[in-house]
Amino acid sequence: MSVLKEFTKGLWKELPPFRLVLGLCPTLAVTNSAENGLGMGAAVVFVLTLSNMIISMVRHIIPAKVRIACFIVIAASLVVAVELLMQAYAYPLYQRLGIFVPLIVVNCIILGRAEAFAAKNGVAASAADGLGMGLGFTMSLTFLGSIREILGNGTWFGMAVMPEGYEPLRIMVQAPGAFICLGLILAGMNMLAFRQARRKGEQAEALARQQQGCGACGGCAACGAGARDAQAQ
Amino acid sequence: MPDVRNAVLLAMSAPPYWHCGRTVRRQSLWMAVALAPAALCAVWNWGLPALRVMALCVAACVAAEALCQKVMGRDISVDDGTAAVSGLLLAFMLPAAAPWWLVCLGAAASICLGKMAFGGLGANPVNTTLTGWAILFVSFPLLMDANAMQLDTTFVDPLLRLKYFGAAAAEEIPFEDLLLGRQINGLGAGQAGALFLGGSFLAARGFVRWHIALGFFLGVAGLATAFALADPATNASPFFHLATGSVLLGGFFLITDPANAPSRPLPMFLFGLVGGALVMLIRKYGVYADGAPFAILLANLLAPQLDLLRPKPFGGR
Repeated sequence: MSVLKEFTKGLWKELPPFRLVLGLCPTLAVTNSAENGLGMGAAVVFVLTLSNMIISMVRHIIPAKVRIACFIVIAASLVVAVELLMQAYAYPLYQRLGIFVPLIVVNCIILGRAEAFAAKNGVAASAADGLGMGLGFTMSLTFLGSIREILGNGTWFGMAVMPEGYEPLRIMVQAPGAFICLGLILAGMNMLAFRQARRKGEQAEALARQQQGCGACGGCAACGAGARDAQAQ
Repeated sequence: MPDVRNAVLLAMSAPPYWHCGRTVRRQSLWMAVALAPAALCAVWNWGLPALRVMALCVAACVAAEALCQKVMGRDISVDDGTAAVSGLLLAFMLPAAAPWWLVCLGAAASICLGKMAFGGLGANPVNTTLTGWAILFVSFPLLMDANAMQLDTTFVDPLLRLKYFGAAAAEEIPFEDLLLGRQINGLGAGQAGALFLGGSFLAARGFVRWHIALGFFLGVAGLATAFALADPATNASPFFHLATGSVLLGGFFLITDPANAPSRPLPMFLFGLVGGALVMLIRKYGVYADGAPFAILLANLLAPQLDLLRPKPFGGR
């Protein structure tokens, strides 16, 4: 039950790029096509699940003072593994993603989940958390990549989907398009959350949360403070 | 009852009680009046296609603003005319042969992303018109290139001529041609003489701040003079630079937008100066022939920093 809950929270309630607003570097940089987003997501699922499991296994051995360094070493080893695997089996994708594959090491989702979850919970729960967060990340990147590819190139996973004579909106596959698209998606998510809250009759609570400024984004749920508040309630 | 009948009726309202009579609506109206000569010149030079683009762009901007306000659940305030002026300014920067969907897309992008997404009038960090223009320009470089769109004309593009054929070829174009708008450019941005008339009227009446416009033109002319003195063979005269591209449109109508300009005299002047200098740097060293729109967008981002230049309060240290 609890494992299932840890798994599903990454899919919507704490969706990494759009709810926690974590891991924005790959989110903005590699999503100029749906395929790149999916490939990046798959690499992150692999690293995140395994790093969460390993960190959770060794969490009692790691001294608290050097834990960040230990997390990085574990994540870096996994990223090297994923890099070699990609070079062997998906070389074109590896070339397109370029520097952003090695940069998974310093992705805030990896360190964030290690620090906030894997270092405090059991192996099964950590694996579920990593898998859920990774899949949520993959979904988000593929979604963003799809929007940008369809509008900016007229294709989806390389197939032409727009009608003949469609003039592609080139800005969408360039850097500014990533920011515009992400901003609009975040606005849409906020609107959706606000609508849901209002439908449930929690308007007052939602308003209070919005006025506080912090907490509306759910970002602090990722660290200890948010979890403590949740337990207190 | 008799007490009530005898009591003096006092009308209560909140201060201030004294108004200068200036409203957003009147401001937009005078902006439109100042843009009218250039619009007439544009129709004179480019014919009815120019009128078509201007009318469509204004209508699309007003419709986009009304739609946004409807969706956001706000009072519809398109009658203040700011959306219409933004639309007219955007149309001025498009080629007269722009297809209808390009105009509508630019108008929607200007208003939705450049204005309403940030909260409406006065809340946008960069110029409304230029946001839409930049999205179009980056997305469709070919369709936004007036030189490639206007094939059946005898006019030439002065800035491209300067960039690829040198200063001598650029100086061959008579200055009257530039002033009368006989140059390839955005449909209204090239009407240099008419824009100068309208713009100076606005600045003189105080509808736009003359500090910003003066700073902008000094920035362009100063750097252009320095370049021309250093190497007259490759650099055109400052007058050429002032009358081409969207320098006059930008300096009088775009960079002076009070929503994203500083509000004190010295910062305003510096703001214009930075914008003008950036125009010349982009023209000389950048890949784009005309740097004015991008220079203004960059200067807009500097406005909050320039606003920090404040006088020392009495007794302050």
